Amino acid sequence: MHLSPPTASADDVFVIVPVFNEASVLGEVLRALLEAYPNVVVVDDCSHDDSGAIAASSGATVLRHIYNLGQGASLQTGIDYALRSDAQYIVTFDGDGQHRVEDIERLLQPLRAGTADVALGSRFLESTSNIPAQRRILLRAAVLFSRATSRLDVSDAHNGLRAFTHHAASRIHITMDRMAHASQLLDQIGSAGLRFTEVAVTVRYTDYSLMKGQKNSQAAVILRDYLIGRLVK
Amino acid sequence: MSLFQIGGFAFLGALCFWVGRGIRVGRIPRYAAAVWLLLCVIAAVLIADPRLTVLAARALGIGRGADLVFYSAILGSLFGSFLFYVRIRRIENKLTGIVRELAIREALPPSREQQ
Repeated sequence: MHLSPPTASADDVFVIVPVFNEASVLGEVLRALLEAYPNVVVVDDCSHDDSGAIAASSGATVLRHIYNLGQGASLQTGIDYALRSDAQYIVTFDGDGQHRVEDIERLLQPLRAGTADVALGSRFLESTSNIPAQRRILLRAAVLFSRATSRLDVSDAHNGLRAFTHHAASRIHITMDRMAHASQLLDQIGSAGLRFTEVAVTVRYTDYSLMKGQKNSQAAVILRDYLIGRLVK
Repeated sequence: MSLFQIGGFAFLGALCFWVGRGIRVGRIPRYAAAVWLLLCVIAAVLIADPRLTVLAARALGIGRGADLVFYSAILGSLFGSFLFYVRIRRIENKLTGIVRELAIREALPPSREQQ
């Protein structure tokens, strides 16, 4: 796979990769990331497989939760670590191989230009993602819901590929530990008055990512967690 | 005095003693103690004169005193469950913070051979 090199220095970029039992694809994901970005932080959410060992031997920094907390908690752990390490830009990147490394630089461009504090990846701005029909309907519903709750005009509410400036990341604090964090993030971007932009990215749906990623049936659980999370601080 | 009333008063007395001790050692906040003591007083009055539940039920349009007690118990249980849930959530949040801090403090830096 040919990767276009980052156009600016990558030293000030920290890429956070939340991981839970991704041993079969993680090595390749990290190899591609580390070719372009030296600061890759894997947050191992107490995987039962070899994800932690693979991450450690790949050259990434590894943070390990001593018990499973969820993706939202993993992202916040990575963000906290990156902020303490004086990262200027923080990128969140899924560990299941769905995201493309070359999209990171597209996300960083508006941040480096100073025109946005947060860049959100969107798989709906350009039709380059092979999204299954059922998933597309569900994601569209999630977008409508997120627009109503966060009052942000977004086209993709649950895309794990995002970039933040140091300032923006320091204003974010994810307390919804599991999958409802995506909606909470949008709420916090809105309430903190952060400038955001959406950038077209490609999400690759493979048999593995569909098997491993969120199930359509989990939508109700995410909705429940979100509503309860808003009720109970 | 019936056997139920003796048992009920004994239980409420023990509850009040427990609340009083909780206030002294700082385990129970004063507002929570006030709610507990108020509930104890209401329960004591209703145990002393169960006909009052009928009057209260009629005033609320329920009809039977037993129904009023039943509905109140359900609402009280729901409220209690909610309070427990809030407490569990707060403990979970604290636990998340501890796990996070441990993960960051014990971060494994990139292995040297990959540098």
